[in-house]
Amino acid sequence: MTAAALADDIYAAAARRARRTEKLMPFALMSPALVIAIVFFGIPMLLMLRMSFNEHVPQRLYVPGFTFSHYAQLLSEERFVTAIWTTVKLSLLASCATVVIGYGFAMLVWLKPARWRLAFIGLALTPLLISEISIIFGWWMFFPKNGLLSYVLMSVGLISDKISLMYTEFAAFVGLVYITLPFCFFILLSIFDAIDKRLIEASGDLGARPFTTFYEILLPLTRTGILVAFAQSFIWAMGTYATPSALGPDTLWTIGYLIQEQMLGKSNWPLASAFSMILVVLVAVVIIFVRSLNTERTRFHA
Amino acid sequence: MPDTAVPRSAELEPVLLKALTWAFTVFIVAYIMVPILVTLIMSFNDAAQIRFPIKTWSLLWYRDFFGSSQFTGALANSLEIAIGTTLFSATSGILAAWAFERYVFPFKNFFYLIIMLPLFMPGVVLGLGVAIAFGGIEIFGFQLYGSRLLVMVAHSLWAMPLVFMLMEATFRTIDHRIVEASYDLGARPLRTFIEIVVPAVSTGIVSSALFAFVISLNEFVMALFLTDRDTQTLPVLMWLSLRSAGTPRLAVAAVILACAVFLCLTVIMLWYIRQLKKTSR
Repeated sequence: MTAAALADDIYAAAARRARRTEKLMPFALMSPALVIAIVFFGIPMLLMLRMSFNEHVPQRLYVPGFTFSHYAQLLSEERFVTAIWTTVKLSLLASCATVVIGYGFAMLVWLKPARWRLAFIGLALTPLLISEISIIFGWWMFFPKNGLLSYVLMSVGLISDKISLMYTEFAAFVGLVYITLPFCFFILLSIFDAIDKRLIEASGDLGARPFTTFYEILLPLTRTGILVAFAQSFIWAMGTYATPSALGPDTLWTIGYLIQEQMLGKSNWPLASAFSMILVVLVAVVIIFVRSLNTERTRFHA
Repeated sequence: MPDTAVPRSAELEPVLLKALTWAFTVFIVAYIMVPILVTLIMSFNDAAQIRFPIKTWSLLWYRDFFGSSQFTGALANSLEIAIGTTLFSATSGILAAWAFERYVFPFKNFFYLIIMLPLFMPGVVLGLGVAIAFGGIEIFGFQLYGSRLLVMVAHSLWAMPLVFMLMEATFRTIDHRIVEASYDLGARPLRTFIEIVVPAVSTGIVSSALFAFVISLNEFVMALFLTDRDTQTLPVLMWLSLRSAGTPRLAVAAVILACAVFLCLTVIMLWYIRQLKKTSR
């Protein structure tokens, strides 16, 4: 064996080793993220699924077993069925309002001159940066009898007696829309930014009125965006339980509120888990729906 | 005068549209600002009750907040947990994003889904899951449940995918020829990453880390499930106090939380300006 061949062998071995590390490198880099996602999300989800079939006896958190009774209870007992129904209804209502307001807001920012843009985006970012609890507290001081709303309406002379909108479904609705609005706005703004503004000018030059331009040009171009924004708001609204339970009436039970009540108040872990699984399934259905929309759109463009 | 021949409705429409635009602008600004301004105003109230109009102004409740060991302790917990979350999620998120940007490996979409999925889960579900999985676990006599460590990791479930998403977008802006050049000149991957890549994406790193900090600072549903009396965060304490009785002290707590967040934003802005100056020089 010549010296040159030996050197070649050594190089080849080094290259092989380098290739092997190159292959393992991405997994090494991903490992911390995967540990967080699998150990603290994947496994807990599986344990929760298992927990939802365990049996519950008073004074104990759970007893190992296998029963569908919790799911049956959730889907038959009136209080729980009402909660599921209330959550879906309130979330649908709030997402509709969010999309309408968010659409108007995004269109406004898109149409206004660029110097306004930064200020508006800052405005839309503000609710995202403030804790949900602070916002709840803000509305909590706005709606009641001695709150700002009542005071302002009295001083203007619109009402003669103090009014309270606190602990009404309207207050819960206003609070929920507030939480979901920023997400919806940013999704819709990105959709609007992709539209060529000259389309509007062209439409106007051809004699179309603003409303016609909106209906015939803008609405069809943003339809997928509207659906994505709607689904996103819906997911977010279903998962938010603090706002509706703090601002709404005592009888306004949402899924999130009941999960918390079963978990912390009643220590019924199996039932809380079964309820969470229902929430997860609802969220998953919406996510799959959005994914199918996205693939449809890319197919359309290609 | 030929101009007057224009029909009335054509003149009316732009005016109407302008009025509508203005009304909507006022509505949206008012809607977003109301809860924030109400809280800010109430924090300077002198009275013990939440009641409008406010008669006298003072810093009484700020003194009260910093005099209460319960509230300052909760604030300290919040900051500690937020710093821990930032470290966990920034490290793991940045490394994973680099793996996705730089390497080709099997099941990429599947791994992407695993990393991003927790971001779409409601806090109530994540909190319950972590509480069930780690409820009774004790490691070397260290009670994991109720500890700050567990809350940090739970908050990372939201913060890490966010960092990952932001950094993946940032890494795409890097000029790959520079990275290749560094490899060709003999630098190892680690050295290239630290000396070439990190400085190029420093703005992205700083902003995603601070967003992780902000998420953790504000979150309270998971923290409610995972903390006890000694480790509860400021938002958790606010939520529990609101359930019993609301005082202007809560308004002060809200203002202080918001101040911490806006301090972070200022840091991002200053960093961004610094980077801009550096590149333009």
